Amino acid sequence: MTGLAVFGLLVGAGVLGGLLRHGAALLGAKSRFPTAVLIVNAAGSLVAGAILGAASTLPAGIPLILLTGFCGALTTFSTFSVDTVRLILARRGGAALWNIISSLALGLGCAALGAGVALAII
Amino acid sequence: MSWLAVAAGAAVGTAARYGIDLLLPHPIDGFPWSTFIVNAVGSLALGWLTAALWDRVPDWVRAGLGAGLLGSFTTFSAVMVSAIAIGQGGELVGGPGSVLPGDFAGAALVVFANVFVGIVCALIGLLVGRGGRGPRLASTPEGGEDA
Repeated sequence: MTGLAVFGLLVGAGVLGGLLRHGAALLGAKSRFPTAVLIVNAAGSLVAGAILGAASTLPAGIPLILLTGFCGALTTFSTFSVDTVRLILARRGGAALWNIISSLALGLGCAALGAGVALAII
Repeated sequence: MSWLAVAAGAAVGTAARYGIDLLLPHPIDGFPWSTFIVNAVGSLALGWLTAALWDRVPDWVRAGLGAGLLGSFTTFSAVMVSAIAIGQGGELVGGPGSVLPGDFAGAALVVFANVFVGIVCALIGLLVGRGGRGPRLASTPEGGEDA
């Protein structure tokens, strides 16, 4: 693949990831806890871990397109950190702490699971 | 309209993040400075926008700048993948057959740096954006009803 093709597919994959996250956020908009972001971040970490584990068997350019493009845009850090601070400012420190702990535990666990399964299969 | 704004924002945000990756390349088991920087800058910007702008712009502007641009510019999965690669070593980093040792402290540093600095930046952004105009935290970052 040419560099331009990789760039185009990477941006296209990013648009797809961003739209999926927006859809999930709309579904969870009524929730008092940022569950939608938690779920997309965990799901994106699972996929990203699997791609990392399988990277050596994938065609050149594909891991970059999927990791940086799709998973990078599907998951988000800015909403996670702003939501956490908004919970703190709303005097919901327990919910803020729970948001941090559950995001990290699920994210790391899903990334490790994805990588482990991919390495076991290839 | 808001879906179109999200798509446009996501295209720009993803391209910008990739550009910073290219400017600051790092090995898969090295500290991901590019990811750290986009997450810090994106958290600061979203905090500021949430407090300063969100309650006086239409839905599609919030969706385009928040969910689209900054949501896609910043990334959670890259932090997790960096931490797993650094912490695990072996075949994830060195390829098939590698027995490279993992670096648990290095992995913890990546996670802690992103979370701590991201949250501090979001707080600064929210407080600066709020300025002297009193609390303006009624709308969510994604532009929906109050979370």
